[in-house]
Amino acid sequence: MKDALLLLLSASHLHAQIMAGGKIVAQREFEDTSAGPNDFAAFVKTVHYPAYLLVDLIEEDFRQESIPHLIGGSRNALLQRKFEQFYRGTPFRQASLLQRQKTGRRDDDMLFSALTNPALVTPWVNILLAHKIPLSGIYSVPQISAPLVKDHPSEYLLLISWEKSAGLRQTYFSEHRLQISRLTPINADLTFRDAVTRELPRTYQYLKSLSLLPAGQMLDVRLLGHGEDLIELRSTLPSNTDMRYDLVELDDLAGKLGIEHRFSDSDASQIFLHRLAIAPPQTHYANAEHVHYCTLWRLRRALHWIAGGLLAGSLAWGTADIWQSGWNADETRSMGSDAQRILNEVKQITNAFPNTQAPASEMKSAVSIMRNLDSQTVSPGDAMRPLGRALDRYPRIELDELGWKMEAAEPVANNAPTTVPAQVLTLKGRLLGFEGNYRAALGYLDRFQIELEKQGYSVTALDKPLDISPGGNISDREETQGEALTFALKISRRAAE
Amino acid sequence: MKFSRSDFALMRWSLLSLCISLSISAAFLYGSGQYATQAQQDRRAAQSRLDDARRQLTTAQEDRQDMAIYAEKYQLLSQGGIFGDGQRLDWMEGLERLRQQHIVGSFRYNIAPQKTHVPVSPIDGGVFDIQYSEMTMEFDLLHEGQLLNFFAALREQVKGHYQLESCTLQRQATGPENAGGLKAACRGGWITLKNRNATP
Repeated sequence: MKDALLLLLSASHLHAQIMAGGKIVAQREFEDTSAGPNDFAAFVKTVHYPAYLLVDLIEEDFRQESIPHLIGGSRNALLQRKFEQFYRGTPFRQASLLQRQKTGRRDDDMLFSALTNPALVTPWVNILLAHKIPLSGIYSVPQISAPLVKDHPSEYLLLISWEKSAGLRQTYFSEHRLQISRLTPINADLTFRDAVTRELPRTYQYLKSLSLLPAGQMLDVRLLGHGEDLIELRSTLPSNTDMRYDLVELDDLAGKLGIEHRFSDSDASQIFLHRLAIAPPQTHYANAEHVHYCTLWRLRRALHWIAGGLLAGSLAWGTADIWQSGWNADETRSMGSDAQRILNEVKQITNAFPNTQAPASEMKSAVSIMRNLDSQTVSPGDAMRPLGRALDRYPRIELDELGWKMEAAEPVANNAPTTVPAQVLTLKGRLLGFEGNYRAALGYLDRFQIELEKQGYSVTALDKPLDISPGGNISDREETQGEALTFALKISRRAAE
Repeated sequence: MKFSRSDFALMRWSLLSLCISLSISAAFLYGSGQYATQAQQDRRAAQSRLDDARRQLTTAQEDRQDMAIYAEKYQLLSQGGIFGDGQRLDWMEGLERLRQQHIVGSFRYNIAPQKTHVPVSPIDGGVFDIQYSEMTMEFDLLHEGQLLNFFAALREQVKGHYQLESCTLQRQATGPENAGGLKAACRGGWITLKNRNATP
């Protein structure tokens, strides 16, 4: 629980307590006399915490009203009109939504309430404002009672509590929504038990008269009190079928709500004050002017958080950067020493190089070029010598002309690589000694070609002594029988790479 | 909510702490960012130096290997007059020496201006331009073996690299002024390598 100044205001009395770490560290009582406000002013001078003002006054009015369901500025304007209509004379007023109707226009059921005697509250609030105490809000006991009945299954429930300085508080809830609340002052002659015994039947009748409790409906009554008082009450409470009682010990309730306080009597003030410090309601009676210093306090706190967060974030980010940079620096040093070691090794290698005319890369390049060129260079003898030997075996072939060339584009029968140019031989010659025996001459030439092909040559006949193909033209050769039988062959071979 | 001048007095320390926090954060982030950037740049530079050193080592090792493999062959090529603009005088002298050896009946040659060589298949020349000086030759031969012997002698005895590309041999008719034999015409070229980076 955060540090806070909790104030409980009754008609003629102000209780103040300073909470720190969930415990009361200081408390004072101030009477509504001439000295009271001055004492209070002196007391709050030392306070720097947010203040929560809880009022428990008879002069609190509740009014239920259905209004059209509006939003934004229209709703605010409507609520202001209602405030002016119902509670013109007080600045301490509020409206809370009970429920939205499920049929018709689906209007909003609102609970309007106000502290109708501002003179009881204003002097104390002015002192807080004068000392710039951050007033968080002005709350009433009925308003913060709802959480105390949330766990009760009843839809019609009366919560009864006793605040020593104010009196007996009876708050009625329908479907867990605040409907109405009564405060009965208790004078010195009247005990808590007597007040309950006397006021409970009256309240029951009051609720019935206002039709807040449906006819025939049982009223559940939750009574907060000290164990001893509750034991006594159990015997004196009116017993009838219209009411059912749920007696709750304050110590038990405090335990459930996480409140560290031991109760010596039935005064439930500390329950409400602690609840207020733990979970103040969103709506309250204070307006923007009243909570001005609290808004500033929250803004200051937000700025502090932002400043702290910013500083922590940037420190974390920057530290991560520096840590990463340290790692990078280590890596840099390591790589630098590695590079130096490698360069030393390079130096050793290069120093050991012989003194040559050219760099090694140029040597390699030049030698590679010449190797490639050599692989593309062939000697005519490679092709001519086998051809010469074949011609020796065919003496009736007379050679007239022999051409040799390297031809890269020459197609070849074998699958030799095309990086090696083919050697192409063009052989022009004559067939001798066949005297018109064309069949024998052509057979002789065919055998010569077949022998060359056996040696890996591709042989193409460019010109034959006689064209005996179906497309050829043959004429009587009686007059030309004495002429030589000329032919031309194209012989090619691609050497292996 | 409306703020007044008196509110500023309440807020001043908060605003001041925010400003101080902003300043410290900005300064710290700027400083750490600069340090981080510098450290990162240093690391990249060191990485680059390391990569460069590794490349140098690889190159040096390759060079050492290449030296062992290619130095001798390069030396032979250099002695063979492969490098430079072309040793035309060497070629002429070599051919004249061959003429005196009478390997063929007679021969005539013509060396054309140098040009860039276009090999049969592309060759990566590296720093070298492959140059080509076309040389055509005509021969009077007794038989084709003389031609083969001539080119074998050319390859062995003349400095330079001659690449033969084509030859044509024709039988000569026997006549009063001609004792028969063969005529040959050949075409090829002298290959030289010119280093592009060499100073003239």
